[in-house]
Amino acid sequence: MYAAHRYDGDPRDNQLLASLPESGWERWRPLLEPVDLKLGQVLCEAHSSPAHLFFPTTAIISLMYRMRDGSTSEIGIVGKDGAVGIALFMGGDATHSQAVVQSPGKAYRLHAHSVISEVSRGGEVLHTLLRYTQALIAQVAQTAVCNRYHSIDQQLSRRLLMGLDRLQSDELLMTQELAANLLGVRREGVTAAATKLQLAGVIRYSRGHISVLDRNRLEQRTCECYSVAKKEYERLLPKRMPLAA
Amino acid sequence: MSVFDNPKKNQLLASLPAEEWQRWRPLLEPVDMPLGQILYESGSVLSHVYFPTSSIVSLLYVMEDGASAEIAVAGNEGLVGISLFMGGETTPSRAVVQSAGRGYRLPAKTIKEEFTRTPVLHLLLRYTQALITQMSQTAVCNRHHTLDQQLCRWLLLSLDRLDGNELLMTQELIANMLGVRREGVTEAALQLQTSGLIRYARGRISVLDRPALESRSCECYSVVKKEYDRLLPRFTTS
Repeated sequence: MYAAHRYDGDPRDNQLLASLPESGWERWRPLLEPVDLKLGQVLCEAHSSPAHLFFPTTAIISLMYRMRDGSTSEIGIVGKDGAVGIALFMGGDATHSQAVVQSPGKAYRLHAHSVISEVSRGGEVLHTLLRYTQALIAQVAQTAVCNRYHSIDQQLSRRLLMGLDRLQSDELLMTQELAANLLGVRREGVTAAATKLQLAGVIRYSRGHISVLDRNRLEQRTCECYSVAKKEYERLLPKRMPLAA
Repeated sequence: MSVFDNPKKNQLLASLPAEEWQRWRPLLEPVDMPLGQILYESGSVLSHVYFPTSSIVSLLYVMEDGASAEIAVAGNEGLVGISLFMGGETTPSRAVVQSAGRGYRLPAKTIKEEFTRTPVLHLLLRYTQALITQMSQTAVCNRHHTLDQQLCRWLLLSLDRLDGNELLMTQELIANMLGVRREGVTEAALQLQTSGLIRYARGRISVLDRPALESRSCECYSVVKKEYDRLLPRFTTS
């Protein structure tokens, strides 16, 4: 997945950073370090302690669970809407999922020490992080529901929309193989779903890549899971919101 | 008059530091939690946080067409109502008592005040982190595993939250929780019974061979259990 864009490097392109109270923002601003994230880069391995809390601005990160047999499933995604490394403030040091860059781009990172001292400070910054976590929980929960009930067509539409919302671009490119890995389904299933969307003129699919042409119709074709998670995010983190509404 | 459980049958209450426990004790209100009771509805503001002692609560998402699927369960290892301290006051899910029993509750205002105290904050956040693991694993399991495996996982998760080896559970309820058709649950339960792992009669499931149930379950059960054990080391009931 790639996004074509111009980037002027404002950390507040990350909506979580943008919704911090002014005092917290002033405290964090000098501590934020810009980083380039490469496709496939692992920001944090499962069961290991994150060294940083990452705030993507143009990159997208997948939280993946890798099963013992090697197959994978995406549990949640994080882009300019949030942060990667919630175990740093939630406690317990690590999570059982792996954070992998799935669309390269920029992010800002904050050292673990700074996050931990923010937690002990309590107050509004921590509460902002927790409200984001609550929105992430809604996303994870909806992934569970969607995996149970909805067709691959609907799930692919949902996943494409979630990707679009987190990019600073109207165009999202994804290989079918990546889509299959993220959804945890066979590639043939993704091919069939992508072909249907292409025939309907919603996406263009060529040489294994999917580009979104008609966002509105994608929204009509997806299941309720997309809007449930999105509304929850908007409710919990209202400031400077529109996630490409 | 009901005889209430010792509040410390709830692992979170049992692991409160002494000072917190002394402060909470008079504020905890014992409650009966009958089967099917809805603790909160999707989108409604929560009035209390619940600490089950002998009941199990399902967090369900109910879809627009009325079908439901369980996202997670909470029993004597945890609490119901994280959105009161995480923020936002409501959630898109519904909390419904899935196995009747008892518990304690604290008013919303109290838990919010308590959450400003460091030991309480850390404990509740670690629990929430464990709950996130459970939800994530539900997502993975719904994608990758057979109904047989999911039923084993679900029975084990429930068993861990109860005393004894019996679950009062109709197949219809299980089907609603797993979000599958009842015939599928009947078939899976029959297989487990034929293999001598469970006995199922009149809405009562007795687990006869827990180790065999564990080996038939997918990895999702043990992944979740290990995370709970790691994040919330068990405290013995005093």
